[in-house]
Amino acid sequence: MRSDTTAPWALLCVVVALIYLFSLGPILITAAVSFNETNRSLFPPRGWSLRWWARAFGPEWTQPLVFSLKLSTLTAVLSTVLALPLAFALHRHRFPGREAMIALALGPLMLPTLVTGVGLLQLFQYAGLREHIGFGALLAGHLVICLPFAVRTVSISLQTLPPNVELAAASLGATRWNTLRHVVFPLIKNGLVAGAVFAFIHSFTDVNLSLFLATPGEQPITVKILAFLEFGFAPTLAAVSVITLVLPLVLVAVVERLSGLGDFIYGERRA
Amino acid sequence: MPEPALRLVGIEKHYPSAVAVAGIDLDVAEGEFVTLLGPSGCGKTTTLGLVAGFFPPTRGEIWLKGRHVEGLPSFKRDIGVVFQDYALFPHMNAAENVAFGLRMRKVSSSDMAKRVADALELVKLTGLGDRRPLQMSGGQRQRVALARALVINPAVLLLDEPLSNLDLKLREEMRVEIATLQRRLGITTVFVTHDQGEALVMSDRIAVMNAGRIEQIGTPSDIYERPATRFVAQFIGRMNLIAGKVTPSRRVAVDGGVELPIPVDRDITTGSDVHVAVRPERAELRPDAPSSGVTIPCTLRQVLYLGSTRELHVDFDGGQRGIVEMPNDGSASRFEAGALAWFCAPVESCRVLRA
Repeated sequence: MRSDTTAPWALLCVVVALIYLFSLGPILITAAVSFNETNRSLFPPRGWSLRWWARAFGPEWTQPLVFSLKLSTLTAVLSTVLALPLAFALHRHRFPGREAMIALALGPLMLPTLVTGVGLLQLFQYAGLREHIGFGALLAGHLVICLPFAVRTVSISLQTLPPNVELAAASLGATRWNTLRHVVFPLIKNGLVAGAVFAFIHSFTDVNLSLFLATPGEQPITVKILAFLEFGFAPTLAAVSVITLVLPLVLVAVVERLSGLGDFIYGERRA
Repeated sequence: MPEPALRLVGIEKHYPSAVAVAGIDLDVAEGEFVTLLGPSGCGKTTTLGLVAGFFPPTRGEIWLKGRHVEGLPSFKRDIGVVFQDYALFPHMNAAENVAFGLRMRKVSSSDMAKRVADALELVKLTGLGDRRPLQMSGGQRQRVALARALVINPAVLLLDEPLSNLDLKLREEMRVEIATLQRRLGITTVFVTHDQGEALVMSDRIAVMNAGRIEQIGTPSDIYERPATRFVAQFIGRMNLIAGKVTPSRRVAVDGGVELPIPVDRDITTGSDVHVAVRPERAELRPDAPSSGVTIPCTLRQVLYLGSTRELHVDFDGGQRGIVEMPNDGSASRFEAGALAWFCAPVESCRVLRA
């Protein structure tokens, strides 16, 4: 009996250890590198200094960071606002063109964002809007690639809505709007928040699409990091990377605490 | 005659793949308890949904207290619905659930508090108002659902199989409790069920539905004692159906040649195939033929001991089968399997139904 269970257990431990090593290891190394005293990215770090961090908080880096935060926040909010009616229609109604709509809404999930980026750039070019790329074009692109995440999570939350509660509300005299406001919305709130968070993270971490649509003045942090990499990996970049990494983590932690987002991330409802 | 509280005129509901309701006319009087009884798929729940306004009828009219409502959405109809799964709002506690309809009607908060408390008391849930549905038992949830539907004082109360998710003992208690409450409040009620026991115990009238139509409507004893069709006869309770033919002398000849002295309705033509319907508890098994009544020779195949009753399963000479139910009065069974006997029943307990 014992030997039966020990071997898989040991294997599980090894696999989990490897996952942690490869996912956390690079982060820890990057973080450590940012404290180097010299401008060489050595690991383990030589000496101890916060000057790269001071530089990371300078305008050269905070400007694209703030730009990214603005872009991603707006993307998250708009994706969710669009996803709610879309998910409702797809979930509740059978209508001609429904399949096509699902494909359109979820399709970008399956396309490499690099391809979407190239395509969007060409589209803007052909439409004679090449000089207008920047924030508007980035927002449009990010919406395309982030909407599927929002639609998925909102759809899932609509599926968990108990059957008949809307009919019950209507029978009790609630108008469609009041049913939405007092019954549906409170019950799918977590799904909406989760959808927004997923869209935010996806937008915030995107580099492929932004690469094509960014302009020097309007550049998300990921594109800026990539551009800076051409000069080699400096400790400043390590510090910036850590900041870029921690921000979405903090966001997820806060939202998880506030709304029980874990249900959506872990796929289960905890008592 | 006063105007009915609810009137359905030629109601039909067609779906692309099927006709769910194929033409229903029904009047429900003020304060009456009417049950739509039928097997699953007979259209009873669809009919209830049409009254509630959850979807529009394909054809026909619905009148609620003299108001023409089939074009109105649910929220303007003044109805109370108790759903099979209760459909309580999980994010609200019991009192908030009950208060919902009053909130939608913009009832003042002092009035609301009183009415919610009264409604909870009515369903014996006083003190449990702050419980969430998930913290309550099935029976308690059902009471919340009932209070929520009653508190708004609807023109008609619609109950969609509300007892089917409860265990047997609770279900039998709730039958009586709901029926008593309904009589006390005098609220017009349409109840949907597939359970004939519930229908017989609770209803003023029962509408037996089959394939989107009402087969028969009447009081519980009408339905049980005088079923109008073979479907009703078989669906409610147990029934011996003995196949036969109408003779020129307007009697019924069953297979095996015996002629039974049962009067046949004028609208059943001579020579047509019919069934003689006899309830097992109205029949009797005798060792020799009595001088009057319906008597058919048979062979006793099997005696089943059921505690309060004995069931005698017999084979008629023509090959058909019948059941006689005898109350267990403490005496030993007078018959042994294999015995030749007579299946007897008073003429007034037999009905002739079209095959």
